[in-house]
Amino acid sequence: MSENAITRRSFLAGSAGVAAVAAAGFTGFGAWQQAHADEEAGTGRTDAVHTLCNACSSKCGYTAYVVDGKLTKLIGDENNPNAEGHLCARGYGYSQIAYSKDRLTDPLKKNAQGKFEAITWDQAYAEIGEKVKAIIAENGPEAIGLVQDPRPSGSYYCNRFIAALGSPNTYTHGAACNLSKASGITQAIGTGDWVSDVANSQMTMFIGRSYCDGIRPSQVAALERAHENGAYIVMVDPRCNNSTVFADEWVPITPGTDLALVLAMSNVLIKNHLYDAEFVAANSVGFDDWAVAIEGCTPAWAEQLTGIPANTIESLAARFAEAAPAASIEPSWRGAYGCAYANSGETARAVALFNTLLGCWNQPGGALLTSGISAGKLDDPRFAAPPKVEAKKLGSEEYPLASASMGSAVYAGEMAKTGALKGMFFYYSNMAVGYSNPAYLADALSNLELMVVCDVQMSETAMLADYVLPETSYLERSELPEFGGGRVPYVALRSQVLDVIHPNTRSCDQIFTELAEACGVGEYFQFTQDELAEAQLNTVGLTLEGLRQVGTVQFPDKAFVYGKQPTFNTPAKKVQFTSEACAKAGLSPCPVWIEPQDPVGEGEYRLVGGKQAIMTHTQTANVPELMNIAEEYGLMRPWISVADAEALGIKDNDEIVVENDLHSGTSKVRVTERISPGVVYLPSHYGCTSPEQHTAYGKGLRIMDYVPFHIEPAYGSTMSQNTTVRIKKVGA
Amino acid sequence: MTFEPIWGSIIAWYLFLAGLGGGAYVSAAIIRWRHPEAVHAIRYGRVIAPVVVIIGLCLLMLDATAGFHHPLRFALLLTNFGSVMTWGVVFLGAFTVLSLIGAGLDLAKRNVPMWLDIVAAVFGVCVAVYTGCLLGVCKTFPLWNNALLPILFLVSAMSTGMAAVLCVTILRAPAEFDRLVAFKKLHYVFPIVEIVLVAALLFVTAFSASPSGLESVMKLVAGDCALAFWFLFILVGLVLPTAVETWLLFLSSKEFEESRSAHMIGLASDVGVLVGGFVLRLLVLIAAMPLTLVTPWY
Amino acid sequence: MANYGMLINTKKCIGCYACRTACQRQNNLLPDEAFIRFEEREVGTYPSVRVEHVPLQCMHCEDAPCVSVCPTGAAKYGTDGIVEVDQGRCIGCLYCVAACPYQVRVRNSETGAVDKCRFCTVAAQDGTKMCSCVEACLTGCRIFGDLDDPDSEISKAIAETGATPIAGDLTKAKIYYVR
Repeated sequence: MSENAITRRSFLAGSAGVAAVAAAGFTGFGAWQQAHADEEAGTGRTDAVHTLCNACSSKCGYTAYVVDGKLTKLIGDENNPNAEGHLCARGYGYSQIAYSKDRLTDPLKKNAQGKFEAITWDQAYAEIGEKVKAIIAENGPEAIGLVQDPRPSGSYYCNRFIAALGSPNTYTHGAACNLSKASGITQAIGTGDWVSDVANSQMTMFIGRSYCDGIRPSQVAALERAHENGAYIVMVDPRCNNSTVFADEWVPITPGTDLALVLAMSNVLIKNHLYDAEFVAANSVGFDDWAVAIEGCTPAWAEQLTGIPANTIESLAARFAEAAPAASIEPSWRGAYGCAYANSGETARAVALFNTLLGCWNQPGGALLTSGISAGKLDDPRFAAPPKVEAKKLGSEEYPLASASMGSAVYAGEMAKTGALKGMFFYYSNMAVGYSNPAYLADALSNLELMVVCDVQMSETAMLADYVLPETSYLERSELPEFGGGRVPYVALRSQVLDVIHPNTRSCDQIFTELAEACGVGEYFQFTQDELAEAQLNTVGLTLEGLRQVGTVQFPDKAFVYGKQPTFNTPAKKVQFTSEACAKAGLSPCPVWIEPQDPVGEGEYRLVGGKQAIMTHTQTANVPELMNIAEEYGLMRPWISVADAEALGIKDNDEIVVENDLHSGTSKVRVTERISPGVVYLPSHYGCTSPEQHTAYGKGLRIMDYVPFHIEPAYGSTMSQNTTVRIKKVGA
Repeated sequence: MTFEPIWGSIIAWYLFLAGLGGGAYVSAAIIRWRHPEAVHAIRYGRVIAPVVVIIGLCLLMLDATAGFHHPLRFALLLTNFGSVMTWGVVFLGAFTVLSLIGAGLDLAKRNVPMWLDIVAAVFGVCVAVYTGCLLGVCKTFPLWNNALLPILFLVSAMSTGMAAVLCVTILRAPAEFDRLVAFKKLHYVFPIVEIVLVAALLFVTAFSASPSGLESVMKLVAGDCALAFWFLFILVGLVLPTAVETWLLFLSSKEFEESRSAHMIGLASDVGVLVGGFVLRLLVLIAAMPLTLVTPWY
Repeated sequence: MANYGMLINTKKCIGCYACRTACQRQNNLLPDEAFIRFEEREVGTYPSVRVEHVPLQCMHCEDAPCVSVCPTGAAKYGTDGIVEVDQGRCIGCLYCVAACPYQVRVRNSETGAVDKCRFCTVAAQDGTKMCSCVEACLTGCRIFGDLDDPDSEISKAIAETGATPIAGDLTKAKIYYVR
């Protein structure tokens, strides 16, 4: 606290004095004194607990202050590498989910009339267990599947539960997030991600990713430092996103054509011998093939596709060459090629190859292949893995390039429709409206014999379920340690902050342990979460109590060092400009141009999604603090360009119709200079159709309603932006 | 960012009724001066004044939610004499007391001292001016923050007060109504003055330093408020009454002017003045857009 | 006696709303009660466009219209140049809301009383610094400090950047903007 800071006590003392004088004669009423009464109530006992945020998957560490059992403050932890002392708007707002009036409070079962009724946990477990056993007896364990949005305990318990049942079918939300990006990059460099050393770079290009809209505080800080250090920051995005505040150049691009830009910049580097030939020769295979394959990918060619002037592409490439090796294209996440188009995986692969041309791997300011830390082998036989499942995950043959740890949850949806999957569990996943076309998925999931959803509020997916299991909110439960990578590997812990608010809710570890018991595989869950956490932490020299005290522990001795010879975990153990796996999956051995989507017809606009800084997926829209912002500032509105608006006779805030063959809806519109003509942006968080979410219900349009059910070849992603819409003024 | 008007119809009613009350008592005083024989009309003015002002005050307290929950806080209203509202409370308080006494004496068939009528009428004018000054000191809104608004509200208050007295007189003492020639001619002038003032207010506001001035004016004359502005305020509240009264007072025969049909037409015209008076307050409240700091509100 | 003020560098503001939600949380405000509001401006035309986010909150004016118009004395000048609202005196007439040119005063929908940024005096407690918004800002847009102390970080920053109140000398506001 600064020397001049006013403490609450002194302030109150001061104001009370003034008030007493001014109000002489009124002291008897009592009413007007209530001003500070709330503050003074209770014993004033303050607890400070280190925990991890759950508003997005960054899981920032923070200290929760609890006064008289109520959460009062959240302060980001300095020593947590994601938070670096800060939280974002979602972090503060989403903490209120604990107190939401829309929480699920009891296990629910859907009755014959399709209505939910509360049942006991015992009944829920018994009936689910019976059905799981019946499905396995009739169709084998492969007919069971699970989809989760990974959280520390969720990942462990979900995967172990499904493996214990003998099924390979666990999926993450990846197919609607970063599956193509991670899988494509893996084909090139053997790992799914890198860290662009933005802050120390001379040039960094972001493609469809905005650190300032999908926020992780440490990344925002890095971008700001880069800007202050004079780095040349380029934002490639159909929208002038909020990160452009720190950018030197906004390059608007036709959605889905990022691959053409990357290929053309690569073409320029190769043609002009501006690439790091030495690095390429020593560390890669297949370069010559790629050089030939993209000979025609000139800037002039790319201009036709991307809408970016050829000379801009030339100069961007030249700038990159000048800045290299302190330069890179940032790996991105969901944005432009995480799961968006038919060419997303190949775009990711090309980006990794472009960075290879720069020779920037592990160079200061370049692209860093950092490593993580994980728990060592656990000796206690109780923690031994269930027997290895021999069957292949559904989708792994159809979409062979999809990262095995994610799988294609969208394909799992298709398998529900075909009947290959008979029973599905969903943990903290709103697949039904978030992963692909909601109408298709509702129909597909209705074919299931058993559908169980575990969540904290009535998601649209939960509405489709046979059983809904109410979880405690993230503030009311502890979880397993989070082992994280990055510049400095770390371990962080989510600790219980609040007492359980609704007595009949249970934590993830308890639910899956008890479910396992009910399904006859309880022998794999003969331990408590704390015992497992302790054992995991002991393998890295920590104790649970010790970690609880500090929240996050970093491992500086395992920190990334510049200049370290990069290791590429590909089949060739080098960067692969050509990939046999890609060729086998029906793609070109080296990445070449692929049309991203169906042709755009007359009067059609390309639809793009994208995050807003106050929202995550569809999970935060029901938080009043956050939804109020969206309503106050019109954040639910689709964006269209000034040029398009003029042509259509639409003015800012007019009510417009957004429609295509799948869906039609109306909304007020934002007319802006900040978007490319021909493009409609719809934020990805709104249009809730669950009446039990009283704050979010019925507000805004849902982007997925406009997206057909389809799957990216080879990579298995949902192709979330492969669609077009028509727009017109209401009544026009 | 969308701007939600700070005050809505409750405060519009309050401003309207306070002005009307002031105007009604002033009417009573004027009638006493020019038509001392019109005892009914005078009484109506004295009675209408406190009744509507008290209703207005109740509405005000209802709208001040925190005070409504803790009524004793209203006792604090007299602590800041730098505030127009505090002066308003003084004027309203004094006016309510004086007009109640005047009305009480009148109803009790007791003589109302001339000085009481004069003092109450002066406070009635103060109340009417106050309703305009209340808004006029807010720098936030160019539509309010000018010297014309208090005058407009004063004129409108007098006009509506007179209209209210005339309405009751037509219904309850039609013979007396016919004799209020001078008073009616005075009343006739007000809507005309009002038209001039409104035009001036719109021009001044439209050309104020902040673009929100023009925006407020556009909202009135061509935007969301245009229908109410042109139809209810200008036409029903000002132009038609002026036309009707021109006809009745100056063009029609005396026989017709004193006929029951003419009375009813006159009544309708005065009701129009009342409607216009209320709509004026409401429109001024909801059409005012705040200063543009970075970007205009919408 | 200090004279507190704030500097907001809009060139670094990313419009993320973290300050607003942090303020709501740390000051225990209602979901619909926010002390910080934002205006967003697009400068230029496509594709040469940039965006400016401007957070606005109580400017703790030296010539505060809210204090002038408040009939009950609930809005008042407190210590250290902080404009306060005595919740126990407020009747909720909203006159201050109308008078504030910055539109940063809000009615508490439960009590009906008006409230606004307090420079975190009421909420200051152990473990947190003053002004949650300053602490929460991801890009360090905000500097809080004593305007009367020429050596304070804020005084130096104002001198260096030439920051000015958003509406010039309209109310002698004490939040300075770099734009």
